[in-house]
Amino acid sequence: MSRLIVSARINGEARELLVDERDSLLDALRERAGLTGTKEGCNNGNCGACSVLLDGRLVNSCLVMAAEVEGSDVTTVEGLELGPQQLHPLQSAFLEEAALQCGICTPGFLVSAKALLDTNPDPTEHEVRFWLAGNLCRCTGYDKIIRAVMGAAETMRNTASSSEGA
Amino acid sequence: MTTETRPEYSSVGKRETRIEGAGKVTGGAIYAADVQVPDMLHCKLVHSPHAHARIVSIDATKALAIDGVERVIVAEDFGQAVKDGSNPAIDASNRGAALLAHKQAVFTGEPVAAVLAETPSAAEEGVEAVEVTYEVLPHVLDLEAAMEDGSPLARPPVSDIDHSEEEAHVTLDVDTEEAEGKPTNVASHVSFTRGDIEAGFAESDVIVERTWRSASMHQGYIEPHATVADFKPATGELTVWAATQGQFMVRDTIMRTLKWPETKLRVIGCELGGGFGGKMTLNSPLVAALSVIAGRPVKLVLTRAEDITAAAPAPRAMINLKTGMKKDGSLTAIEASVVYGAGAYPGAPAAVGALLGTSFYKWPNLKADGYEVLTNHVSVGAIRAPGTHNAMHAVEQNIDEMARQLDLDAGAVRLQNVSQTGDPMASGQEFTKIGLDETVTQAIEHPLWKNREAAKAESTDTKMVGVGLAIGGWLGGLQPAAAEVMLNNDGTVNAVTGVNDITGTNTSFAQILAEELNISLDQINITTGDTKTAPFAGMSAGSKTLFTVGRALREAAIDLREQMFEVAADRLEANENDLELKDNAVSVKGSPDQSLGMDRLASMTTGFGALYKPLVGSGSIAARIQAPGFTAQLVKVEVDTDTGNVELKDFAIVQDVGFAINPLSVEGQMEGGAVQGMGIGLWEEYIYDDDGKLRNAGLLDYRMPTAADVPDIESLIVEVPSEDGPYGARGVGEPSITAGGAAIANAIADAIGARVSEIPATPERVLRALGTVGDGAEAAGS
Ligand code: FES
Ligand code: FES
Repeated sequence: MSRLIVSARINGEARELLVDERDSLLDALRERAGLTGTKEGCNNGNCGACSVLLDGRLVNSCLVMAAEVEGSDVTTVEGLELGPQQLHPLQSAFLEEAALQCGICTPGFLVSAKALLDTNPDPTEHEVRFWLAGNLCRCTGYDKIIRAVMGAAETMRNTASSSEGA
Repeated sequence: MTTETRPEYSSVGKRETRIEGAGKVTGGAIYAADVQVPDMLHCKLVHSPHAHARIVSIDATKALAIDGVERVIVAEDFGQAVKDGSNPAIDASNRGAALLAHKQAVFTGEPVAAVLAETPSAAEEGVEAVEVTYEVLPHVLDLEAAMEDGSPLARPPVSDIDHSEEEAHVTLDVDTEEAEGKPTNVASHVSFTRGDIEAGFAESDVIVERTWRSASMHQGYIEPHATVADFKPATGELTVWAATQGQFMVRDTIMRTLKWPETKLRVIGCELGGGFGGKMTLNSPLVAALSVIAGRPVKLVLTRAEDITAAAPAPRAMINLKTGMKKDGSLTAIEASVVYGAGAYPGAPAAVGALLGTSFYKWPNLKADGYEVLTNHVSVGAIRAPGTHNAMHAVEQNIDEMARQLDLDAGAVRLQNVSQTGDPMASGQEFTKIGLDETVTQAIEHPLWKNREAAKAESTDTKMVGVGLAIGGWLGGLQPAAAEVMLNNDGTVNAVTGVNDITGTNTSFAQILAEELNISLDQINITTGDTKTAPFAGMSAGSKTLFTVGRALREAAIDLREQMFEVAADRLEANENDLELKDNAVSVKGSPDQSLGMDRLASMTTGFGALYKPLVGSGSIAARIQAPGFTAQLVKVEVDTDTGNVELKDFAIVQDVGFAINPLSVEGQMEGGAVQGMGIGLWEEYIYDDDGKLRNAGLLDYRMPTAADVPDIESLIVEVPSEDGPYGARGVGEPSITAGGAAIANAIADAIGARVSEIPATPERVLRALGTVGDGAEAAGS
């Protein structure tokens, strides 16, 4: 088993990780970087629990080899907060709308929803439902998740327009 | 909905967001697979590739030669882990004891050896290198074939049947007769009778007799099973981190299986990534035993394929149902043969299916037989309301079909016949106070039902629209529980329970404390202790978490309040009856200046030389009165008659929750269960080949509903207070899953005029019902 060092920015911080060449990005995050917020539900691209942003692009980290992220920017759920004790609007909305129960799917949904809102700040409900179709949740029945994402989008649009106006 | 006026409450009954949710949105919450212990070995399992085979030999030589592989453990080794040297895995007849298969494997995927290695990948390599020689034995997969005389036996005869998982969910007052005498695959049989069914059928104006099938399914939790066990040889202490709905059940199972003293055993129930009945004890005794044998910590996380193939899915059922009705809509008789596939170890909810399937309506005459049948499939476990959705699918299609044939309103027929408070169940036991009537009333007044003719008129040549209704319910589990509430020196309150919060129950617990102590939620902390530090609580299952632990907490809060009053009365020289608790202080009513703050009270009971005993409220209850919860669900579907595809257009769920302590989380339970019901109705199914291998052991092919598959759900809460639940609450977790599959089947029948006899209603089954493929034999009402 051969090992290699991968350098990447993870949640804004330059990190060097000693990984096994067979490690996926998910393995590297959870086992080597100690970032266990990203979850494994299937390890083959079908549940979305392992969603992270790779250079701003939404990926299933279980399908990306750790070695491939050399020099890249990775954002995980641990990197969503805007500042110390300052939740991202999506995180707040998930709490307020009760968009989580067991919470195992939540990191994936948050990251996936962020990727959506980064490119489409004003999605329709239909667009949200289809965008999130790659993330499975077994607890909520999705209604409250959709509402949380729509609500967070609105909050973020309002914040953006009021700061533009300022 | 309820006509009873409800008391004014300050905290319970309000929509509250999770008090402790931040860890779950920031990635900080620790689930069992996140637990790391220094010097930990990783376990991977070797699985039988055969549905039924004798294990001739297991050769670990090559595996042990792999760098990093430490041990390969087989069933014969477990004596080393058991205190008295006995070995539970030898000739184990129940799944709990069968830590690894001994001598023979009875389903494809059954673990036969465990590889322990320094890394997960070394363990995987080790698994590949273990050489197992099997002698393939005849297997049986079909339920009907398995029941025939002369069928191959799925496994050696069963002696002691373990019903503990089933009983964790529902408290059944029935005797199950277990197979005796000649070996058979029928592991148990239960039967209920009332009146004279022949006389009942004779006076019927319509009789419908059909065989209905429903598939085996996964509970669908997104977190695969995970366990870490850490045995410390120096102290003899065993610590287990488990993904479980019931840490005390894990503790007791390890205690019994390994004869392990509970003083040396700590089970920590981690944050749980979904259970729905499927996360009980599965691998915990195995991992505990492996750690004891290896003398090091061991971690086992199942892969998704292993979890689907070899955990404990929910059973399939085959239900033959004959029912009669008179022209005026009254029911005459029901005859039910209810067969549940248990897989290769007993434990299927045949008694539940036979009982609930024949108890929700007033059948003057009934005969119901439930059979639990063994085959060479993975053994089953519980799911939300185990067994009930299978039974409701059958009963609700029959009711619907009888109404259709007599040209009666299927909603009115249900309202006319549903069981009421005091009516007997099939077992003779009487229903406690229930709100089934109110629930059905609200459903049939809903626009989705009222406007169903208009909806049907939206149909085009190839897109047929229909609306379906079905009822379901759950009796509710009972289990004793205790809890403790302590007053802190800053006047806040800490509470400890032993039940794992999966869905937000801790927030509802805090609402109960806030109500009884007249304080705000931010003054309350709820800690889930482990099995060494927490007072006993049953599993988070059976729709009883809030129903039982909530009551214990309420009693603990009342106890704490009384203790505060006792101290205050002494100190203020007042009569306890003249005191009140408000604004964080105990005061004499009408004289607010005669008052002691809660912080003061606490320090008067803890300080050096303090005169009063510490204020610790305890609550301990034995719940004895069930509080059944019922649901009625409505769905509008559009069936594509070219492809057989069914699209869900609208969905409403009505449910009697007794009293919604936190309506926000109650809705969450209703919506989540409703979507699982949609999966049951349209998509979710274990598909096996003729050799007993699962063909869809992944989340792409085992298809659970996504956000894009399901419509918005309208949740309508009915509140008919229960007799014994806190503030009248009933269990809410389980009823929601029980009716969706049946409602969808009825909506399809409404749309296309033909019934699918098996759910999920896949395109192929819909086309077969339409007569456009296959034998076309499934016309309506056959
Ligand atoms: S774990 Fe990566 S998609 Fe499921
Ligand atoms: S909250 Fe449990 S899977 Fe989504």
